[in-house]
Amino acid sequence: MKKVIHLLTLLALPALAAEPTVNQLLAKYDSIMGPLSFEAQTQMTATREDGTSRTYVMKMLKKDNDKFRIYFAEPSSVKGQEVLRNGDNLWVYIPNLKRSTRIANRDSFQGGDFNNADVLRVNYQIDYHGTLIPSDSEDTYCVELKAKNPDTAYDSIKLYIRKSDLMPVKGQYFGTSGQMIRSAAFSDYQEFEKGYTRPAKVVMQNEQVKARKTELITKSITLKVDVPVQRFTQSDLGK
Amino acid sequence: MALLKLAVRNLRRNRRRSTITLAAMIIGTVAMTCLRGFINGQQRVIIDNQVEGRMGAVQVHKRGYIANVLTSPLALDMADTPELRQKLAKIPGVVAVAPRIEFGAMLSTPDKKPQPDDGSLLPPADQGKTSFIMATAIDPQAEALVTPLRNSFIRGGKLFASVDAHDIVLNDDFARGLEVAVHPEGTPLPKVEQQLALLAPDRDGALNGENVVMGAALPSFSPGDRRIGLVPLGTAQRILRMEGRVTEYSLAVSPFDAAPRVRDAAQAALGPDFEVHTWSELMPFIGTLTNTQDFIFSVISGVFLAVVLLGIVNAMLMTVLERVREIGTMLAVGMRRVQIIQLFVMEGLVIGIVGGLLGIALGYLIVTLAGHIGIPLPAPGAAVPSVVKPFITPLYLVSALVGVPVGASLACLWPAWRASRLRPVEALQTA
Repeated sequence: MKKVIHLLTLLALPALAAEPTVNQLLAKYDSIMGPLSFEAQTQMTATREDGTSRTYVMKMLKKDNDKFRIYFAEPSSVKGQEVLRNGDNLWVYIPNLKRSTRIANRDSFQGGDFNNADVLRVNYQIDYHGTLIPSDSEDTYCVELKAKNPDTAYDSIKLYIRKSDLMPVKGQYFGTSGQMIRSAAFSDYQEFEKGYTRPAKVVMQNEQVKARKTELITKSITLKVDVPVQRFTQSDLGK
Repeated sequence: MALLKLAVRNLRRNRRRSTITLAAMIIGTVAMTCLRGFINGQQRVIIDNQVEGRMGAVQVHKRGYIANVLTSPLALDMADTPELRQKLAKIPGVVAVAPRIEFGAMLSTPDKKPQPDDGSLLPPADQGKTSFIMATAIDPQAEALVTPLRNSFIRGGKLFASVDAHDIVLNDDFARGLEVAVHPEGTPLPKVEQQLALLAPDRDGALNGENVVMGAALPSFSPGDRRIGLVPLGTAQRILRMEGRVTEYSLAVSPFDAAPRVRDAAQAALGPDFEVHTWSELMPFIGTLTNTQDFIFSVISGVFLAVVLLGIVNAMLMTVLERVREIGTMLAVGMRRVQIIQLFVMEGLVIGIVGGLLGIALGYLIVTLAGHIGIPLPAPGAAVPSVVKPFITPLYLVSALVGVPVGASLACLWPAWRASRLRPVEALQTA
């Protein structure tokens, strides 16, 4: 009997190494795009249909799977603004309002083509069911994700992951009626810390209004920072 | 002329039958006139609600605005200068000019309880809500002249008095859904954390906002307007960082049908950088709606007309049967067959003229009376009370006055033809 099991394991191992499961792919994606805790300096440039663009500079803090805080530094019109996620709650703090107020997952993030959940809810294992589907190219896997609940940013997503190093290459994001709303291109893969490589640049293309796109660039990122839980409470906003 | 005299005499010979035919004719005409009058009145209410309650008769935008209204129309704005307003106000037919900004915004309601100190989260039932609204920023003084009806719809409070006010007007169903109540006038404002937050991306896309309270409610007066909110123009300009700029001018015109003329004059005065539209171009669904109603009306009147005319055909056939000997005599003494046809058609014509005249007169009287009193009835999809004031157009009067007698005489053609085909010898032999 033991022999049989050994034999089976031996047979199964090479297969496993060649074809990762959906869950392995998603776990890998989540660990690349949304490590458990980090502090990052990022820059977002939103291009609008009239050709004008605007660049935002911000600092991001993340703790656990559901705590996220963003501090805007530039341009001056949003300086002092903050966004906080705690669990399913999203708040924005606007200095001249002198208060924080709730916002929704699917609202646009600073008028760009990312929505709030794209930036603040980057854990696909929690929010989506995945299945492997045939990819459009030889060297990528394609994972189709279906939303588990209405709080998610999209109803379904197709994620293309490079076979060689399991880095994300592109994403296609679909709305309720099945139409493609956005598509993302991941590039500039960079090793920020030893053993941690991620695409430094994500370009989100608006598929409804083709002239609109937004790019998000990670300037620097430090993993495993220890931020006190206090930083992720509503009462801490604006302080 | 002799035929006419003969026709009238023939009609008076069988008074009961003539009266019944006439009565059918009158009832049919009265019913059609009243129905038309009511439909006219209802269409006027729908148009008034839209034009004087929301849109204004003519709108001016930067060129390309209407085509891009779903993307980011804030970029297609214009400087709100006294010169530009003057230019529009001077166009003949324009009685008022109202500046506006249409923008998409988020309305965020406060949490019902403070956040717990222990870092736990409020249960969803106590959390505030966020909802998208289509905001229209207006100047209350100018708007009172362009959309006077809207002011009469406002409930539970007053429209903000100044462009820099901190109160907004929300649809009452929508506000109820968000659990937002009107802040009573004259009482101190709640603390900022307990006010509403009106958030919107500014002209450059950066999020901005202001604290506001709900000053009054606006009921729905057309389908699909639940998410409309009214915001003071200056407050909106601060949020959008668009001081001194607007995206729309709405014009009130007088008389009402001067709209196309005003549009052409405004377009000529402003030049190709701007686009000007009348209410009917901006709201094509109203045209569809009235066309559908007009079609249904014509089907109903067709059925009515057919029933009434078949009644005439029947009565005339009876007359022909009864008067076989008489017709035989007339033919025998040398009356020509075409004159027989003329005689019967003339009888129909007389009934048509008398019945049509009486029917239309009575119908006109009822419609005018109803128009003076008014029928309280909300427009389709509207929650505001409105009064339908039926009216009849001169065109309808003329076409009815011509159409009813013509129809009645045509209905007599077949009985008349049958009468004219009788053989004198056989006809004279019938008992």
